[in-house]
Amino acid sequence: MSENKRNLWFFLLPLAIFLVLVVFLLLGLFSNPREHDSAQIEKKLPQFQLSDLMIDGKRWQREDLLGETFLLNVWGTWCVTCDQELPYLTELRNQGVKIVGLYYDQEIDPDFGESMDITALRAEVKDKLARLGNPYQFNILDDTREMLLDLGVTGAPETFLVDKHGVIKVHHLGDINPRVWRSKFARLYSELKAGQ
Amino acid sequence: MKAMLNLLFGAALMTLSLGVLAQDVEELRQFDSNAQKQLYKELTDELRCPKCQNQNIADSNANIAKDLRNKVYKLVKDGSSKDDVIDYMVERYGYFVYYKPPLTAGTIVLWLLPILFVLFTLLLIWVKSKRSREKVETGQWSEQQEQRLNQLIEQLNHPQER
Repeated sequence: MSENKRNLWFFLLPLAIFLVLVVFLLLGLFSNPREHDSAQIEKKLPQFQLSDLMIDGKRWQREDLLGETFLLNVWGTWCVTCDQELPYLTELRNQGVKIVGLYYDQEIDPDFGESMDITALRAEVKDKLARLGNPYQFNILDDTREMLLDLGVTGAPETFLVDKHGVIKVHHLGDINPRVWRSKFARLYSELKAGQ
Repeated sequence: MKAMLNLLFGAALMTLSLGVLAQDVEELRQFDSNAQKQLYKELTDELRCPKCQNQNIADSNANIAKDLRNKVYKLVKDGSSKDDVIDYMVERYGYFVYYKPPLTAGTIVLWLLPILFVLFTLLLIWVKSKRSREKVETGQWSEQQEQRLNQLIEQLNHPQER
């Protein structure tokens, strides 16, 4: 190796390392720190046995949800961002999208023997859905938040796209708006619908 | 005097009860053994709150962190091992939830990079020192070179004699 060539190497190598570092840091700069891969993708919905939010004595389990592609939307009346997405979700329902609500209350701690006032809760839910639109075919009440844990939910709102076999295809954190629907859900949803 | 004593006593009592109230409920968790208590502490220190930016679940007051602490407590009480609890969490929340990433194809660079860096530096030092040694060796002035140099000087000084 000639002296010249060697010098070129000594010049190019640090430059290459520097460029790789710049790209890496730039990616970090423009990435969303709140977004990380969900562990739920391509997993089956967990088994559960939960009550209906509105109807006394009505119980739901996983098998009741199978057979049709649908959205599972995690929400609560205390959640401000959920208010923002209710009208658009209602629009989606009117377009024929099946949406099931998974309702939870964050203030209730079952470990301390607290239980919710179901009558007051129902009134509140009814009032909210009457004002902002009701996108839900029905709502499942996760009173112990066990189902949320099994689904890897970190807060509300979160939405899962589930196929007819009960396999989770999309796990979205945050609200659903037209932009999110187009970029993250629309194509996959119509594909799953078509394959049904 | 008696009124003042009463007042003092009342104040002392209030401070005491406030202290008890302020004590975190976590402190009141009952464990079957010290090992369990230690395991719970270790796990809540090493598990990361999935909703937060870089906080463990012991440190965070987010609702999800509370729920995860409760779950860890239950699992530990039920006799789960450390790996069981971590597997349980990773299965639901992904590797994000654990502060010690496992060795996978995606994370291997974290382990390899420092080693490669050290090896590369050692190589660089070795090459450099070898080269400078070569320079010293070739730099030795020989008898023949001395003669040749004298010849050349002579030629320069008396070009017409050629």
